Amino acid sequence: MRSLADRARVIAERGARAVAFAALAILFWRALRPPPPSGVEVAGASIERDLARWTTTAPAEIHVRLDAAPSPLVRDWLRALSRSGMRTHWSAARPLRPVAIVAEPTVEPDGGTRVRLASAVGEPVSIGDAAGLIDSLATGGNAELEMATVEGDLRARGTTYTASTIARDTIALRPVLVLGVAGWESKFTIAALEERGWRVASRLRVAPGVEITQGPLGAIDTSRYAAVVAIDTSAASSADAIARYARSGGGVVLAGNTARLASLSGIAAGSVGGRVPGIAGAVASAAPRTGLGVFPVAAARSDAVPLERRSAAVTVAARRVDAGRVVQTGYDETWRWRMSGGEEAVAAHREWWSRLVSAVAYAPLVRRASTGDVAIDETPLASLIDAVGPATSLDAAPRSNTDRSRTTRLLFAIVVGALLLEWASRRLRGAR
Amino acid sequence: MVSEFVFATGQYDSGDWDSAPLVPANLIDSMARYTSLPVAPTGAIVALASDDLFRFPLVYLTGHLPVRFTDVERANVRRFVDRGGMLFVDDHNHDIDGAFHKTAIDELSRSVGALTQLPNTHAIYSAFFKFPDGPPNTSHELNGWGDNLVHTHLLAAMRGDRIGVLYSNKDYSSEWGYHPDNKRFLSVDNTKFGVNVIVYALTR
Repeated sequence: MRSLADRARVIAERGARAVAFAALAILFWRALRPPPPSGVEVAGASIERDLARWTTTAPAEIHVRLDAAPSPLVRDWLRALSRSGMRTHWSAARPLRPVAIVAEPTVEPDGGTRVRLASAVGEPVSIGDAAGLIDSLATGGNAELEMATVEGDLRARGTTYTASTIARDTIALRPVLVLGVAGWESKFTIAALEERGWRVASRLRVAPGVEITQGPLGAIDTSRYAAVVAIDTSAASSADAIARYARSGGGVVLAGNTARLASLSGIAAGSVGGRVPGIAGAVASAAPRTGLGVFPVAAARSDAVPLERRSAAVTVAARRVDAGRVVQTGYDETWRWRMSGGEEAVAAHREWWSRLVSAVAYAPLVRRASTGDVAIDETPLASLIDAVGPATSLDAAPRSNTDRSRTTRLLFAIVVGALLLEWASRRLRGAR
Repeated sequence: MVSEFVFATGQYDSGDWDSAPLVPANLIDSMARYTSLPVAPTGAIVALASDDLFRFPLVYLTGHLPVRFTDVERANVRRFVDRGGMLFVDDHNHDIDGAFHKTAIDELSRSVGALTQLPNTHAIYSAFFKFPDGPPNTSHELNGWGDNLVHTHLLAAMRGDRIGVLYSNKDYSSEWGYHPDNKRFLSVDNTKFGVNVIVYALTR
């Protein structure tokens, strides 16, 4: 009669055999079951159909071959599959080139949209809106367009991409405050800005305690004015307020030698040099501002950006001051350009002043609630890489069935281990 | 630095453009007296046919005799006004049927468009001194000289809401044609409206 220990040993041996048979059964079942799809390669044309199929079959790994940057729908679908645990790779049948397009409101009184395009050189690109083609670049590259109106969405089309955007925001543009002595420069600066569509408030000094005013006047702050134009040093009484205004986000234009005022020198782009007379007769030439007298921007600050030069001298420079922006222009008699310049002088003078003001103007964005049904895709390639990573060639893509192999090896080890255990136990106790 | 205001008298080929030589000095004196604006101590004479016209955005024009602009003068006056300049024309005759009035109105209309009556509430009447009743009367009007009329309005050719040409047949050229030192004999300075005209031109 067997002892209790022998009976327990027999039970253990039978258990080990049962484990071995169970593992063998699992291996057999796995061998008969069809393997899940893996390493699927899809051409661009059928990608949406394949994405739908993969969504239900859930393969462990997919690979997409693209001949152009995919639409936002496809890209987001790939991102969703990737986030759900599916290993997702892509490769390009031909080099996909990066592109970016943005549209933003111009800081101009009559509105308008500024479109900036950056595209890789070598691929032709066309820019258009819902109304049709606007412009094209034969070999790609960068472009900046200003348009009075835009119909619907803007699209940049290349051979391997279509980028799209829409002017989403608008701006709140407040009046411009002009400060100066009653004189031709003040008068014609106001006229230029008003003719360009700016709302202008002004305080022009005529006599001690006497100012000719127009427009809404009040404390100089960003809730009231988009920009302050200081024509001359008569702005001294408001200099501290102007400096505070600039630091709090306002835009300031310092004309002539206004930057000599102590309170304004701290926000100016540089110090004020000695006045350089204009070239006689040049005001009616193709370079009219060379005919104007100017106080050059001397000893420009390190963060100042020269905007205009006459020979080596900087005549217009800009800089950021905390939250605001300041332009320093050394010209003090631009009215002579308007009055004595060529046929385009009036329009050019108007445009020049408007540009100076718009370069610094405080214009808070007003967000539009919705972009409607327009699908925005400003950076197709960059967004694709963000969604599923950079391109991977099909051969280099990790295609191993590591999980499946690991399970098989584990089951096989269990079978062998259990059989060896059972066999060794029986032999050691003398059984066959 | 603010450039000086220079009072300019317009010279034209026809007529007697220099009939009121004392007016510039008198108005320059008034500007210096009442304002702190930098004013050139002497006026300038500028030919309407010259490109120099565009160096002086306010030009004073007067005379007694018929006015006929040359083609160049006419084109220059039009361009001058279109660019923002202001022409102040005063009939030295104070005579509505006089030669200067009829011909000047005709020439100015051809050059810059029709002249219309300026409302007496216009900003020029409050640009510095207040003239609630419109243009101040001159002693010539009150004495019944010329056409024996008191002209209640000035005429103007507008560019937008700005005066391009201001036309007077009140004979301010006679009213203001005296040496500035003689202001002391006046109970009320009669050149004050001249200051308004200049300040308006410098600010609007």
